[in-house]
Amino acid sequence: MHSIETINLTHRFSGNEAVLSSINLQVIEGTIYGFLGPNGAGKTTTLKLVLGLLKKQQGEILVFGKPFANDRVETLRKIGSLIESPSIYGHLTAIENLRILQKIYQCPKGRVAEVLDLVDLSRTRNKKAHQFSLGMKQRLSIAMALLHKPSLLILDEPTNGLDPNGILEIRELLQTLNRMHGITILISSHLLFEIEKFVIHIGIINKGRLLFQGTLAELISKRQQNSFVVFETSNDSKAVQIIKEFGLSSRTESGRIVMPLLDNERIAAINQRLVQNDIDVYQISKVENDLERIFFDVIAE
Amino acid sequence: MIFLNSLQSEWLKKRRSLAAWLVIVGGFFTPSIILMARIKNAHKFSAAYQADDFWIKLWNQSWESMAAFLLPIGIILAVGLITQIEYKNNTWKQLHTTPQRLSTIFFAKFLVILIMLAQAFVLFNIGIYLSAVIPAALFNNIPYPIAPIPYRSFLSANINFFVDSLPILALQYLISLQFKNFLVPIGAGFVIWFLGIGMLSWEYSYLSPYIHSTIDFLIGSGQFGNRKIPPMNIQLLAVIYFVIITTVSYILYVNKKEKG
Repeated sequence: MHSIETINLTHRFSGNEAVLSSINLQVIEGTIYGFLGPNGAGKTTTLKLVLGLLKKQQGEILVFGKPFANDRVETLRKIGSLIESPSIYGHLTAIENLRILQKIYQCPKGRVAEVLDLVDLSRTRNKKAHQFSLGMKQRLSIAMALLHKPSLLILDEPTNGLDPNGILEIRELLQTLNRMHGITILISSHLLFEIEKFVIHIGIINKGRLLFQGTLAELISKRQQNSFVVFETSNDSKAVQIIKEFGLSSRTESGRIVMPLLDNERIAAINQRLVQNDIDVYQISKVENDLERIFFDVIAE
Repeated sequence: MIFLNSLQSEWLKKRRSLAAWLVIVGGFFTPSIILMARIKNAHKFSAAYQADDFWIKLWNQSWESMAAFLLPIGIILAVGLITQIEYKNNTWKQLHTTPQRLSTIFFAKFLVILIMLAQAFVLFNIGIYLSAVIPAALFNNIPYPIAPIPYRSFLSANINFFVDSLPILALQYLISLQFKNFLVPIGAGFVIWFLGIGMLSWEYSYLSPYIHSTIDFLIGSGQFGNRKIPPMNIQLLAVIYFVIITTVSYILYVNKKEKG
């Protein structure tokens, strides 16, 4: 079952240009879904539409299998969210900020201390929120999102402003919430390396279009497809013929021979044959695309 | 029950806010000035405290600046400050992702502002009483006022002034919900109030909701002069304005394209 599903979701702001075009997002229940894209790609607009913060114009939004608009209040009761920058009352303390939500969600008072403990803000519970660092504000926002034990967490760039240690802590916290409590998490980011270590599914969005959606494993298989070996020789056309004798396809590109990724033994054998045929080999290199490269390739398509 | 929880939640937000302080300062401002003047000139007030119309005079003296100036301006500022709590802290989006009906959010916040207005009235009345009795407690030559407090007429006047304030509150709430910039509701409120004061002598001035309390005070204190008495009950007009403006405000709020 999908916790979130959008069908041909399209949105336009005052100008006529679509900021989202036919987005078909599918967040499977119980997974961690990484929603990736550069700044201005349409991530926040999508999440705001899913949460009802923007009026839907075209397409369908299903949350927990039901149209969001049909049962807005009951649906929101099961969602915790953090959209863009932290939403906290600066003139109030951390504990008062949580009390405001505790009243609305009618959850036990003890839950306030629990979530403060969870995000390591217990010692600063009585400090006014405007005195918090950006990282502390992010952590308080996460505590607010978790207060009512939601079954779906929607987090828009939650690690913004956090130091590497803070990012690691949030990552571990989200993994724990997903594994131990089965919470479905939709997390957006513009940095793949921030989320690649713990997401299960990935959606890549750019210029309002969903360019890739699938498992991390599928994205990694793209990596293998996009890895290759490069030879630089003194006679490329003769070298290509010799490589053909090995049953391999290759092409010349910018004064180099490019072929699919091979194991070291085969590379050595080809090199030996080229030298035996009086071809000088200047350089042999393996080009293995990392996830970041694939991400950039996808958004550049 | 759900509305009560939302109301409590909204009430918590105003803790230590400028709006909360404004209610206290606004409620005690005029009585404090009167009290200071009485303490400074204590020797002159012995006869006044023994007069039969002591409370009426004090009441009119206290309400003069309140009805015409402090009450409308206080409402303009307080409503702007309450909605700014959400804008300034970037919390509209958080509020709109909580499991509350939009009507609950709209009316819970609105009711908080109404309660704050009632609070200001209570503090103002306490202030009026204290400005009378503190000099009597401090100075031997000033007796406790011998005239009985006209509770009924004061209560009735309070209710009238409260009702007079409702359309100001509703219109300021409408504008504040539509504009993020604090200066828009404040500026609009000041302009409407100032225009109303400027056209006070005009026979249709009562149509401006921002000067109902001024007209009410002038009529009640016998200072309306040769101006034409409004042809209809001002409180009834205020209630009509209040209902219409609140309805429009709610429709605009619910249909806002972006909620955070």
